[in-house]
Amino acid sequence: MKLRESIVDGLVDVRTHKMRTFLQTLGVILGVASLVAVQGLVDSGRRQATKFFSEFGGLTKILVVNKPVKETVVTARQMASDGLTWSDALAIKQEVPFATQVDPIAQAELPIRYGDYERTNDVTGATPDYTSVYKFYPARGRFLIPDDIESHSRVCVLGDTAARFYFGNEDPLGKILTISDVGFKVVGVMKRKEFYFGKGDHNALEWMNRQTFVPLSAMITRFSGDPRRRVQYINVMVDKVENNPKAAMAIKSILLRRHAGVPDFEVINRAERLRQRAEQNQAFDIVFLVSGIISLIVGGIVIMNIMLASFQERIREVGIRKALGALGTDIAAQFLVESILVTSIGGTLGLALGVGFAQAISALIGQPAIITMKMALVGVIASVTVGLFFGLYPAIKASRLNPVEALRYE
Amino acid sequence: MATPLPEDFKGPIIRLEGVRKIYGDGDDQVQALRGISLDLTAGDYAAIMGPSGSGKSTLMHILGCLDVPTDGEYHLAGTPVSRMSSRQLARIRNRRVGFVFQTFNLLPRCSILRNVELPMLYGGAGRAERRRRALEALGKVGLAERARALPSQLSGGQRQRVAIARALVNTPSIILADEPTGNLDTKTGQDILALFGDLHRQGHTVILVTHDPNVAARANRVVRIVDGLVASAADGDGGGAGH
Repeated sequence: MKLRESIVDGLVDVRTHKMRTFLQTLGVILGVASLVAVQGLVDSGRRQATKFFSEFGGLTKILVVNKPVKETVVTARQMASDGLTWSDALAIKQEVPFATQVDPIAQAELPIRYGDYERTNDVTGATPDYTSVYKFYPARGRFLIPDDIESHSRVCVLGDTAARFYFGNEDPLGKILTISDVGFKVVGVMKRKEFYFGKGDHNALEWMNRQTFVPLSAMITRFSGDPRRRVQYINVMVDKVENNPKAAMAIKSILLRRHAGVPDFEVINRAERLRQRAEQNQAFDIVFLVSGIISLIVGGIVIMNIMLASFQERIREVGIRKALGALGTDIAAQFLVESILVTSIGGTLGLALGVGFAQAISALIGQPAIITMKMALVGVIASVTVGLFFGLYPAIKASRLNPVEALRYE
Repeated sequence: MATPLPEDFKGPIIRLEGVRKIYGDGDDQVQALRGISLDLTAGDYAAIMGPSGSGKSTLMHILGCLDVPTDGEYHLAGTPVSRMSSRQLARIRNRRVGFVFQTFNLLPRCSILRNVELPMLYGGAGRAERRRRALEALGKVGLAERARALPSQLSGGQRQRVAIARALVNTPSIILADEPTGNLDTKTGQDILALFGDLHRQGHTVILVTHDPNVAARANRVVRIVDGLVASAADGDGGGAGH
């Protein structure tokens, strides 16, 4: 018998037993709903994390930071290494083919004064690449330019919050800010950076708004006076995320060579980090996944039980069909089609319910709700699998009925 | 009308040789058939008679390929059936045999049309052809206009007519009827028997299981079964073919 006709007969059965079908589908509805909702929330969370990262370099950023060597007795060899330096950054830019931008950064907390107001704050020595790495652009005036770096210019650019600290409603442009007793002319104010997780009112990117930027060269000569030109960290942008591991390897070997073999640095691959974070969250995902699967299994058992309970009233039908020429496989197929039909109905309702759940939870935690094809796919595959698996036993049982005994069954 | 027999086939359409059927084993063994030998010719209208428990139903199941003999040979149109696979038996039931039961055995939730289409669903006919042939068969039993009804909406006689339409729809060579009038009042029973008479005249081989002598009287062959053996297999005295 053709599949189409099995579905027609199955629909007749479902239609005449609406209540039974509803009870059968209940478990599948809940199971699929929770699977779909979890999938939606996981996707939505992942998307938000990716979006957050992209605010300061995205997945193609590799961060190189200083790492203190843990040994208590410092060896001569370790003494030979300076930690990360501006020259390291230049070497990386020259030698790593995947590196599109290399952005060394020196940071210090320094007293900053304007007029009578003084307050200690973050001062960041940066290069012009900083803006594109952090998608951080001036609202007024300009950011640092190559000439500032070359001439160690005494100019500075303020984050939005920093500008308000020192100037309030005054126009900062062209004013002189005294940083550690050295006067710097304000040439630009940056746009505000903001990112809120969920409904929270904590701006996760506020630290950027508080910064005061000066040319990296000026930072080193004016404040640290460090002839080795040490920096706190180096951002390396890679051309595409697939090249991240190769670039990270290359950076490591260049730095080891330049640091006399001392591993006093750490190379942090952003893509790798995200993956690790996802792995940490997996435990959480798995709990939901397992609870969804358990309710699907319970739903499947319910379906099988009800199929077996209503089996008696169908024995005669099987006998009739066999007398008219149905093969065992025809009977099995019909029973399977029916159980899959029932679970598919449950799956569809569960999908709708799951999307509703996901949206409700998203609204509650203020995360943008997203509905993906993947969610629908999860629902469909789960429900068909349950129907197939738990329909199998009744189907095989029915297909093996002896036609004579089945016909005699009252 | 009926499915043509193989070209080179000349013998009886049904030949049983020493057919035995034993149910159960050990002490619980029941010998339902104890060695039945019987020939039926194509176009016969045969009545199988016997008291309850005589084995006539078992015989009919074997003739309809719903069951296989424990021992002995059954040749259907020259083909030995006894050792066929269940798949082959299902195909014979579908193509060569049309069943009519005492309790009608219609699928209660399917429409009349669907019930009549059923044998063709398993025989692999196309949708349009199924519809056409089912309506044609329903027309023959005078129920074409009730095609959309459910079995529960019909009278007993009408239901049995539907069952006959279903038995005919794949143009089988043999119609097997097990007490077809057993659940009907006399008048309706007469109508159904008249229908079998028509089928016989149209060339079908009709085999009817009954315990009612009045029913058997219409057949041209009467086979009496007692205790799993053929007691007599005489020509009937009722209205047979061409009479």
